Amino acid sequence: MSAPGVIAITGLQTFAARGLAARLLERTPQLRVVGFDLRRPFRLDDRIRFHRVDLSEPAAGDRIAELLRRERVDALVHCAFRREPTLDLEMDHEVETIGSIQIMNACAAAKVKRLVVASSTMLYGPHPDNPNFLTEQHPLRGHPEAHCIVNRVEMESLLTAWIEKHTDTEVTVLRPCWTFGPTHWDHVVRYFALPIAPMLMGYDPLLQLVHEEDVVSAFERAVLAPHPGIFNVVGRGVLPLSTLLRLAGKRILSLPSPLLYRMAYYPTQQQIGDPPAAFYDYLRYLWVADGSRGWDAFGEPVYSTKEAWISFVSARRMRRYR
Amino acid sequence: MSQPPENPEVRDVELEELAEIEEALQSLRHEIRQRFPTPGPRLPALLEDVDWQRLFTDVRRKLSTLGMSERSGEVDEFGMDEVTLGRARPFLDLLYDRYWRVDASGIEGLPEEGPALLVANRSGLLPYDGLMLAHAIERLHPRHERARFLVADWLITLPFMQPYLARLGGVRACRENAERLLQHRRFVIAFPEGAKGAAKVFRERYRLKRFGRGGVVRLMLERGIPLYPVGIVGAEEAHPILFREHALARTLGLPFLPVTPTFPLLGPLGALPLPTKWLIRVGEPVLLDHLEPDAADDELLVARLTEELRARIQVLVDRGLSDRESVWG
Repeated sequence: MSAPGVIAITGLQTFAARGLAARLLERTPQLRVVGFDLRRPFRLDDRIRFHRVDLSEPAAGDRIAELLRRERVDALVHCAFRREPTLDLEMDHEVETIGSIQIMNACAAAKVKRLVVASSTMLYGPHPDNPNFLTEQHPLRGHPEAHCIVNRVEMESLLTAWIEKHTDTEVTVLRPCWTFGPTHWDHVVRYFALPIAPMLMGYDPLLQLVHEEDVVSAFERAVLAPHPGIFNVVGRGVLPLSTLLRLAGKRILSLPSPLLYRMAYYPTQQQIGDPPAAFYDYLRYLWVADGSRGWDAFGEPVYSTKEAWISFVSARRMRRYR
Repeated sequence: MSQPPENPEVRDVELEELAEIEEALQSLRHEIRQRFPTPGPRLPALLEDVDWQRLFTDVRRKLSTLGMSERSGEVDEFGMDEVTLGRARPFLDLLYDRYWRVDASGIEGLPEEGPALLVANRSGLLPYDGLMLAHAIERLHPRHERARFLVADWLITLPFMQPYLARLGGVRACRENAERLLQHRRFVIAFPEGAKGAAKVFRERYRLKRFGRGGVVRLMLERGIPLYPVGIVGAEEAHPILFREHALARTLGLPFLPVTPTFPLLGPLGALPLPTKWLIRVGEPVLLDHLEPDAADDELLVARLTEELRARIQVLVDRGLSDRESVWG
C-alpha cells in the first residue's frame, strides 16, 4: 500500500493527533479522516468523522473493529495515551496497555494495512549507564517508579509480539523526545514554565528537544508513506539543562537531590501525578536518543534543539513567560 | 558699650520666667519626641545617592545569568563546550608546564588524519591523566584536536563532576560512545583498567590491572582502527592512596573513599594532587592488519591480544620510570 484513502486517529484530543488531523485536512483534502476519542473534542472540524470510543470498556476492541470495517480504514494512528501521568494507576493501565491491545486486535480483525503508534524516547529511561546516544535497538528500560512509562514499555513489548504475528501490517513506532513549541503543553512543559526552575544540585544533563511541528511532520510522513520500523523523532543537537534555562533568563534553584525529591512529593499529593522523583531522574541522567534513522526516513527536522526551545520561550514570552 | 542697669528684682523675675520657659520647652521636646520618633542612624552621605531599587534589579539580573559568561550556548554532541575549555586552558597549561612538568614523547607518531584509539594506564580517582594526555595531544600534535577521554560510569554520574567533565571532553566509557567518536574520526583515550585502575593503592603503583573484557581490542579488530599504547608515569604518585575506606564511601555513593597522607586529614586542601614529575610515552601503534575482522569473535584471541597490549603498556611505563630521576623529577 502506498497512500491510504481513509485514516483513523485514536486519541483525537491529544496534541499529536490534533496536529496530524489538521495537517492532513489541510494538505491532503482527498483523504478521509476518522477520529476516535473518549469525548468529542471542542470545535471539531466537521470534515472529521468522529466516533466516541472508550478504550477501557471490555468490548472496545469489537466496537473499534466494526467501526474500522465500516469506515474502510486503511491506516490507523494510535495516539490514545495520557498526556500527563495521573494518580489513577488502574485507569492508566486500562487505557495505555489494555486499550492498545484492543486497538491492535481491532486492526488485525479489520485488516488495517498500516499502523502508526506514538511512543516516546522517555521509554528508554534515565539511567547512569546509558550511552550518550540511544539507538532504536536499545532495550526500553523505562523508569520503575513512573507507572505511565512502565505501561507504555509494556505496550511496546506487546506490540513487538503483535508485529511478528501480523506481518502484512506495516507498523511504524515513533518515539519523539520532549516536545516544545508555541502550543504544546504537558507535564514536562509545566516544569519548564515554573517561575523558578528547581534543578538537582551538581547535575546538568544534556537534553534534547523536538519542535511540535517536526513531530506532526513525522507523523504525517509515517502515515502517508510506508516506513515500517521504529524511529526516534528528535531535534538535532543537545544542550545542557542549565544552558536552556539561562537562555530563557530563568531563575534556577539548585537543590540537593534528596531534598528536591522529598519536596517534589507534595505536588503528587495534589493529584498531579507520577512520583516526581521519576521526573527529576530525567533531569539527572542522560537519555538522549540517536535520531539519524528518523532523519533519514522523515527528512531533516526544521528546528534544532535550541531553535525548538527558543520557539517555545518566545511564544511564552508573548504571554508573559519568565 | 553700655551695661544694662542693675536691677535685682527684674533679674529674679526673668530667671523664674526663664526656668518656666525652659521647663515648657523640655516638655514640648519630650512630646515631639514621643509623637514623632527620630529616624534611626542616617546612612553615610556616600550611600545616600545610590539608587537601591536599580542596584537590586541589576544584581538580580546578574545572578540569573551567573555562569553564563563562561559557557557558550552551543555544545557538541557529547557536551564538550569550547568556551569553558578556552577558559580552563590557562589553568591546564599551568598544570602541564609548571605543576607536573609533563614530558611527552611519541605524540607526533599519531596519525595525521583518521581516528585513533589511545590506551593508557589509569590512576587516581579524578581523571587528571586523561585531561593531561588530551592536553598534550592538543599542544603537540599537528592536528591540534582535543582528544576525548573515556570516564568510568560512577565518576561521570557523580554530582558536581558530571557537568564539568562533560564540558572538558570527558565521555562515559561504553562501547557505543567509543564507536561513535571513532566514526567521527577523533582521537579517543581509553583506560581499560577501569575502576580497578582508579582504586590502585600506593604499593600497587605502576602495576597494570587486568584489562576489562577486551572491548578495546575488539573495537580495533572490527573497525581496523590503529591502537596506540600509552604509558603515563607520575599520575600514580599524585594521589598516593594508602588504603580504601568503604563504610563512609557507601553513604556518599562512591565506590570507595581514598585515604591519602593528606586527604581526609587536611580536608579539601588535601585533595590537591602532589606535584610529581610526569612522563607521557606514546608507543608504536599496534598493527593487526593480518587479522580478519571476524577475529573479534575469537574470544581467546581477543584475550591474548588484550594481555599483549597490557604488557606493552607495562613496558612503556617501566621505561618511563627508569627515565625519570626521582618522583619529583
